[in-house]
Amino acid sequence: MFRDVQTSNRWRSMLLLGVGFLLLVGVGEAVGYYLGLGPFGLVLAVVIAVASTANAYWNSDKIALRITGAHQVDASTHSQLLNVVQEMCLASGLPQPKVAVIEDPAPNAFATGRDPQHATVAVTTGLLERMNREQLQGVLAHELSHVANRDTLVATLAVTIAGTLAIMCDMVWRVSMFGGSTSRRRSNDSGGGQLQLILLAVSVLAIVIAPLAAQLIRAAVSRRREQLADATAVSYTRNPAGLRSALEVLATDSTVVRHTSRATSHLWIESPLDRGASVWNRMFDTHPPLSERIDALREMERTAATP
Amino acid sequence: MRAPYGGTFAGMGVLITVIVLVLLGLVAVWAFNRLVSLRNRTDEAYAQIDVQLKRRYDLIPNLVETVKGYAAHERGTLEAVTSARNAAAGASGVAATAEANNVLSGALGRLFAVAEAYPDLKANATFLNLMEQLTTTENQLGFARQFYNDSVRALNTAIETFPLMLLAGMAKATRREYFQVDDAAVREAPTVQF
Repeated sequence: MFRDVQTSNRWRSMLLLGVGFLLLVGVGEAVGYYLGLGPFGLVLAVVIAVASTANAYWNSDKIALRITGAHQVDASTHSQLLNVVQEMCLASGLPQPKVAVIEDPAPNAFATGRDPQHATVAVTTGLLERMNREQLQGVLAHELSHVANRDTLVATLAVTIAGTLAIMCDMVWRVSMFGGSTSRRRSNDSGGGQLQLILLAVSVLAIVIAPLAAQLIRAAVSRRREQLADATAVSYTRNPAGLRSALEVLATDSTVVRHTSRATSHLWIESPLDRGASVWNRMFDTHPPLSERIDALREMERTAATP
Repeated sequence: MRAPYGGTFAGMGVLITVIVLVLLGLVAVWAFNRLVSLRNRTDEAYAQIDVQLKRRYDLIPNLVETVKGYAAHERGTLEAVTSARNAAAGASGVAATAEANNVLSGALGRLFAVAEAYPDLKANATFLNLMEQLTTTENQLGFARQFYNDSVRALNTAIETFPLMLLAGMAKATRREYFQVDDAAVREAPTVQF
C-alpha cells in the first residue's frame, strides 16, 4: 500500500516540476517578446539563478550544519542514535551519512546532501528526549528517505525555476522603469496591431503572476515530497505506527526550532515556520498538515496486510 | 533541396535499420547492466546478513553470562539460547541458516521476556548496554534480511520477464532463494523495541 502512495507522490511532484518548467519556458518567451531580447533573456536568467543556487546545492550538507549550529556525533556519546541510523541504512541500502545533533529543546530533524554519498542527518536534543526508540526509528527513516529520493536536488530544481522567473520579471520591471527599448520588435508586420496588443497584455500578466505561481509550485512540490518521504519511510521500517506516533508527539508539542529561515524550512520533518491557517497561507506551506500525514500513515497501518 | 541520406527509398531503409539496430544495442546494454547490478546488490545484501548474524553469535555468550549472574535459576531458558546459538553458528546454506536463526530468535524472545521480571538485572549497566547492542543487532538483522529479500525479489522478477530474461545467462544472473521466516509472528514484527 505504501508503494502506491510512493508512486503517486513521485508522479505528482514530477508533474508539478514539469508544469514549472513549462511556465519558465512560456514566460521566457513572453519576456523575450516584451524586451525584444529573444531567448537571451531566459538564458541569462537561468545562468544567474543556477550560479546562485549551485554552491548551496553542492555544499548543502556542510551549509545546513553551519546554519543550524549542529555538531557531528559518534557512537561514544550517542550510541543508540547511531545504531538506529545504521538500522535504517541497512533497510534502505544507503551509505552511512554524517550524523549530527542540534542543541534545541524543540523536537525536529532534517536531512540534506547533494547525493547519498554526501548526506547529513541531524536531530535536535529535544527530539532525542521526547521520542522512544520506535519513534526515533520512524523519524530517521523519514529523513533517510529524503536522501534516497534526492529531495535536495528536487527542491533545488524548484527553487532554481522560481529564481529564474523572479530574475526575468525583475529584468522586465527594470527595463520598463528606465524606459527601456521595448519597442525593438518586429514591427514590420503591420497587420495585427490588435493581436500585438493582446500578446503584450498577456505577456505582462504572465510576467506579473509567474513568480507567484512559481512559489506555489515550489511549495506544492515540497508537500508532495514530504508525503513521499513518509511512504518511503514505511517501506524501510514496515512499521507505519512508529512514524505515526512520532508525528503525534510533534503535533502536541508547540515549541519551534530557533535557528531556521524560510530558505531551509523544507528540510525539517515538521515545518518550523508558523503560518496562518487560512487557505491562502496553506498553499505556501512546505509541509502538509500533520493531521493529514498522520491520517495517511493510519491508512497504511490499516492496509498493512497487503504492502 | 537534396535530402541528406541520398534521397532514395533504399537509402531511407538503411537509415531506419541502422537506427533500430542502435536502439536495440542500447537496450541490450541497459538490460545487461541492470542484471549485473541486481545480482551484485543481492550478493552484497547477503553479505550484510552474514555480518549481522556473526555479531549476534558473538554477543550472545556475554548476554547469557550477565543474565546468569542475576537469574541463575532460569537455566532452562539460558541453555535453550546457548544451544540454539551454537546450532545457528554451525549451519550452512541459506535455508538451513535461516531456519536455525528463527529458532534462535524464538529463544532470545523468551529470554527477553524472562529478563523483564528481574528489576536488578534491568538496572545493571552492562546488561543495558548488551540489550541495546542485541536490540540493534536483531533490528539490523531484520532489515538486512528485508533488503536481501527485496533484492532477491527484484532479481528473480527481472530474470523471469522480457527482455531481461534474454541476457540472464550472459550476465550470470540466476534465481536466488529468499531468507525465509516461517514463524508468522517474527515475520510481522521483524524488529525489537525496548
